[in-house]
Amino acid sequence: MTPEERDRLVLRLYDNLLDIEQRLIPTGLHVFGRPPGDAEAADMLRMVASFDRPEFGVRSLPGLVARGLGLPAYEVLLAESGSSEYRLAQRERVEAVVRLAIERFLTGGGEGAARLLAGEANVPVDESLAIFRLLGTIREQLRENGELDALVRAMNGEYIEPGPGADIVQNPGILPTGRNTHAVNPYGIPSAVAFRRAEAVTASLLNRFLQERGRYPEAIGMVLWGMDNIKTQGEGVAQALRLIGVEPRRDGMNRVSDIEVVPLDRLGRPRIDVVMTVSGIFRDLFAQTMELLDRAVRKVAAMDEPPEMNFVRKHAEAGAREDLAFDDAAARVFSNSPGSYGTNVDVMVADGQWDGADEIGKLFVTRKCFAYGRSLEGREARALMESALSRVEVTYQNVDSAEVGITDVDHYFEYLGGLTKAVQNRTGERPDVYLSDSLAPLGKVRSLEELVRLETRTKTLNPKWYEGMLKHGFRGVAEIERRVANTFGWSATAGAVDDWIYDEIASTYFLDEAMFERLRSLNVHSARSLAARLIEAEGRGFWAADEAVSQRLRSLFADLEDQLEGLAR
Amino acid sequence: MVSVTVLFVGSSLLASLRRAEREINERYGVAAKIRAHNATLPFAGQQWTSVERDLAASDIVFVIHVTDSENALQIAGALDRYRERHRAVVVINCLRDLMLRTRMGKLDLTGRSTAAAPGVVRRAGAWMASYARGRTKQHNGRSPERYLKYFAHVPAILRIIPARGRLLDSKHYLTLFSYFLQPTPANVRSMLLYAIKHYAAVDGRRIKLDPPETRPVVGIYHPDAPSVFPTFKAYRRWYESRPARPRLDPNRSIGMLLMRTQIVSGACRHYDYLIRAIESEGLPVIPALSTFMDNREACRAFLVNPDDQSPRVGQLLSLTGFSFVGGPAMNDSKAAVQFLKGLNRPFHSVVNLEAQRIEDWIENPIGLNPVQTAMQVAIPEIDGATDPIVFGGAPAAGDQPEPIEERCRRIARRLARWDRLRTAPKADIRLAVVLYCFPPNRGNLGTAADLDVFPSLFDILRRLKMEGYGIDLPAGPDALREMLLDGSRSAGDAPAAIAHRLPADDYYRLCPYVEEIELEWGPAPGRINSRGRDIMIHGVRLGDAFIGVQPTFGYEGDPMRLLMAKGSAPHHGFMGFYTFLREVFRADAVIHFGTHGALEFMPGKQAGLSGRCWPDRLIGDFPNIYVYSVNNPSEGSIAKRRSYAELISYLTPPVENAGLYKELASLKELIAAYRQAADERQREYLFEAIREKAADLHLEPSSEGIDERLPVP
Repeated sequence: MTPEERDRLVLRLYDNLLDIEQRLIPTGLHVFGRPPGDAEAADMLRMVASFDRPEFGVRSLPGLVARGLGLPAYEVLLAESGSSEYRLAQRERVEAVVRLAIERFLTGGGEGAARLLAGEANVPVDESLAIFRLLGTIREQLRENGELDALVRAMNGEYIEPGPGADIVQNPGILPTGRNTHAVNPYGIPSAVAFRRAEAVTASLLNRFLQERGRYPEAIGMVLWGMDNIKTQGEGVAQALRLIGVEPRRDGMNRVSDIEVVPLDRLGRPRIDVVMTVSGIFRDLFAQTMELLDRAVRKVAAMDEPPEMNFVRKHAEAGAREDLAFDDAAARVFSNSPGSYGTNVDVMVADGQWDGADEIGKLFVTRKCFAYGRSLEGREARALMESALSRVEVTYQNVDSAEVGITDVDHYFEYLGGLTKAVQNRTGERPDVYLSDSLAPLGKVRSLEELVRLETRTKTLNPKWYEGMLKHGFRGVAEIERRVANTFGWSATAGAVDDWIYDEIASTYFLDEAMFERLRSLNVHSARSLAARLIEAEGRGFWAADEAVSQRLRSLFADLEDQLEGLAR
Repeated sequence: MVSVTVLFVGSSLLASLRRAEREINERYGVAAKIRAHNATLPFAGQQWTSVERDLAASDIVFVIHVTDSENALQIAGALDRYRERHRAVVVINCLRDLMLRTRMGKLDLTGRSTAAAPGVVRRAGAWMASYARGRTKQHNGRSPERYLKYFAHVPAILRIIPARGRLLDSKHYLTLFSYFLQPTPANVRSMLLYAIKHYAAVDGRRIKLDPPETRPVVGIYHPDAPSVFPTFKAYRRWYESRPARPRLDPNRSIGMLLMRTQIVSGACRHYDYLIRAIESEGLPVIPALSTFMDNREACRAFLVNPDDQSPRVGQLLSLTGFSFVGGPAMNDSKAAVQFLKGLNRPFHSVVNLEAQRIEDWIENPIGLNPVQTAMQVAIPEIDGATDPIVFGGAPAAGDQPEPIEERCRRIARRLARWDRLRTAPKADIRLAVVLYCFPPNRGNLGTAADLDVFPSLFDILRRLKMEGYGIDLPAGPDALREMLLDGSRSAGDAPAAIAHRLPADDYYRLCPYVEEIELEWGPAPGRINSRGRDIMIHGVRLGDAFIGVQPTFGYEGDPMRLLMAKGSAPHHGFMGFYTFLREVFRADAVIHFGTHGALEFMPGKQAGLSGRCWPDRLIGDFPNIYVYSVNNPSEGSIAKRRSYAELISYLTPPVENAGLYKELASLKELIAAYRQAADERQREYLFEAIREKAADLHLEPSSEGIDERLPVP
């Protein structure tokens, strides 16, 4: 290996480490009405400061520092620091100044921090002061938690002010809390900003596949939720539109009311077929958007373009040859039957109610095979969905949140995992599974396996995370158990969990005796569930456990059972 | 035979149009066919075929209030296609593309810009454009003057336009518009007749027209009163003089906002029923005419005491279906919220079906169609409105809105419950708090996204006790949790303590929906949350507070139900739980605790629920206060629409950088050393160490576009 090759590998490894180190994680639980401690706010405030926020008249702090230091844009530093020592050093220089400035802000206020930035990095004081004013407001609003007052006022029958819903980093406008959270005007989706931001993510997604397979994917199975589309004003929707190669059009009242097909020469790549599985909540909140997506697909399917440049048309025609009406063969928007929600895959997995390898995927289709769009209106269309899924090569979901990760809730494996299984049932092989990190400045895309590893390293196995949870005693143990159960969900639906992950979980929570005793004394019920889950992972072949570890787990599980028996007696 | 087609939006015009057709034929001896189509939803399929057929055969066309771009586009196309056939096209309050199709004699805006129109028409057009878009200039309007001005404006212009010459057709246009502004049945008839007189091939000299009737622009309406009251004083004098009526207690009166067009056109049976339903709950009402684009004006004129700005109402109920400030298509929610905060009264917005027949809403599994859900539910929510319940709409056989009586009673009873929370002594209030436990396992007691439930709940109970509610406070959060867990010692796999055993016989007597549930779950008490002949209610009683644990959907250990494509009714245990809260514990309000539960995801319509939808039956009349994570606006919205929840958002936990720990931290140090090492041999040595450590940590560099892997040592 040449020294250059060696350097390159080390840099990339380092980039990986930074990815872990800088990832935002929740460190504990909220207690209603209580403000979080100040020490915990520095990382969050730094993250808030790292976005351009035109709505507050604020530019990104790392961006300002990079500019002040005469360096390339911070995004460039981020993109190139994994392959260039020179850029890495520049990136570290910027981040060090930002860190220092936030520390100064927390101890000495905005003016001192602005002076520091002017001195260290030639950042104009008025620009940095705008940021610190925003951070100052956030800090104040965090200190004065009005949730209890709001609850008392609601009980008194007073007016509860509405407010937006989002992660705090995404939209500091969610403060103060104690308000009646609302959704968004569905006619506004996707916003112009969301459509612009979607460009980087879809490019990353397609490039990733292109690099691994040497061609574009013909069809992508995509999960659309209400949650991220409300919080990002429709980034997921915008990504679907971009993949198909269309743009939203607004009418005289500024409502997104139609789409326009982007000509192939401007698109510069084939139109990707997108099979959309839509949550029941998205269906309820964004019925117009479902129609828009359906219209987009139909319009593209009807374009007179060569099949190798228009996979939507290619597949619709193939479907028509399979005896589907052309119109039916272009159905791409699927959700639950009207008035029903969820896939039940979460319950099936949590409750261990499956045996055959295809049962999870079948259940997903049973629940989700209702076609939506003009003239379909939730008609049960199992054959159409299966035909559409049979061409899917990639499954994908947009993740917008630092607060809700893919092992934090069961809904991610329920949807993206369920969809992946459903595709596998049709094609015989597991599709590539990708997730985006739309909060990241570069619209980062990761494989499911990478993200499971990252979540595991930053949360489940991270003392900072689990000690934060265990501060909350009983509930904290339940939270740990939920993360492991959701990790297990990724084994069950996508086989995406490495052996070492289960090894390390067992070692952290069971082989460490002191830890095991803590879990047992804080919440014996959840400790038992946790052990049972690991044993099930081994039993189902998701984990090739070391024999001694397996024995130990079983014996600890028996202890817990005994203890619960004792409780019951 | 004169043929007139009217394309209109909303539910108030149809009855007047039908009646006008009859009268024109019978009383005025003009053979006329008036064809009316409701254009609130985009015309499609059969309906569009029939609209187009009518347009193809019309002498005169009216297009009113069409602001949907899809509809505007196809209507404009048809107007162009049948241009030769039409003697006059009258477009009122529509999108610009449609406005430019206005064509009456010499007044022809086709293919021109509005700037080419005569000044008077341009001024009216500018007003209409702002009306159609609902765009209002920022103003701090202290009175309804601005709104009134519009109504005075048109007749004032009319008076100065000569009745001959170049501007004659413009005068006709404005005359039609001024009839339309006051859409009484007589004015609607006159509007049609006026157009026929001047533009159809009939002998117009025989047609004698009445000048426009005028109706108050603002005021207070009551079905029992002979006319609209111009002032609150006059209304109060009348209202309180009647022996059976309660006084207009400013803490209890229900301030209502009604659509003026419905009142003026006499299409108000749905209003009348709802008003009486509310009064029969013992609540006084102040039903004010909405000032459409800015309801602050109506509120300031009638619902707020001008002397000290104090509210005259205990709750505010909007029947308009539009945003509070901004009209049908825009919403200035900032202004709305600022005003409503000052008023500080619960703000509810209920729904009249404007674009759906009652039968369609009943049969439609989704309930409200998307256009209405967006306009009449999603947008009022941004103003802080709650309780999006359907109260009226036109039946298939009728031509004007009728009340949906059962829904009106639901609204009235819910208002009465909120009224009780507002006015009863705190010590008389009974409060139910509903916790979750999912998946059902004692370890999960108090499930809620990102929330430590027991300390949170304890703080709330302590605070409510301080406020005067009769709560027996446990020693602390742990004690509270132990009370809930403790009783489960002898309860098999029950999630929590048993607070009450509801005998199946009582349940059959108390719950009106048992038979429907039996169809899916067999006889009560069933398998879940039951023992023997009893339904088990899990929770603890703390004086006037009951802390309960919501049962789950009941799919656990029931593969058959799990595999069903559609949801099923709640099981007896679930229904029994809410039956207990209502009939046994007799809660006055429910607090659902933490993101999120199962009630709001029970089968039923998606928005605009009926009395047959399970979430509506379960939550019933309870004020539903929902402690909900601020980062989940989507599932929270389902709770608002399907279980009438008022969310109280809670903060998510603090976030920090994950940092590095254990061997990950040492790897970083090794790499730092490598980066600093100048000596090649030392770098080689460090590289080996890095490679080993990385392999131990199962780390391999992987990111976009990487094709090589770190070689395993």
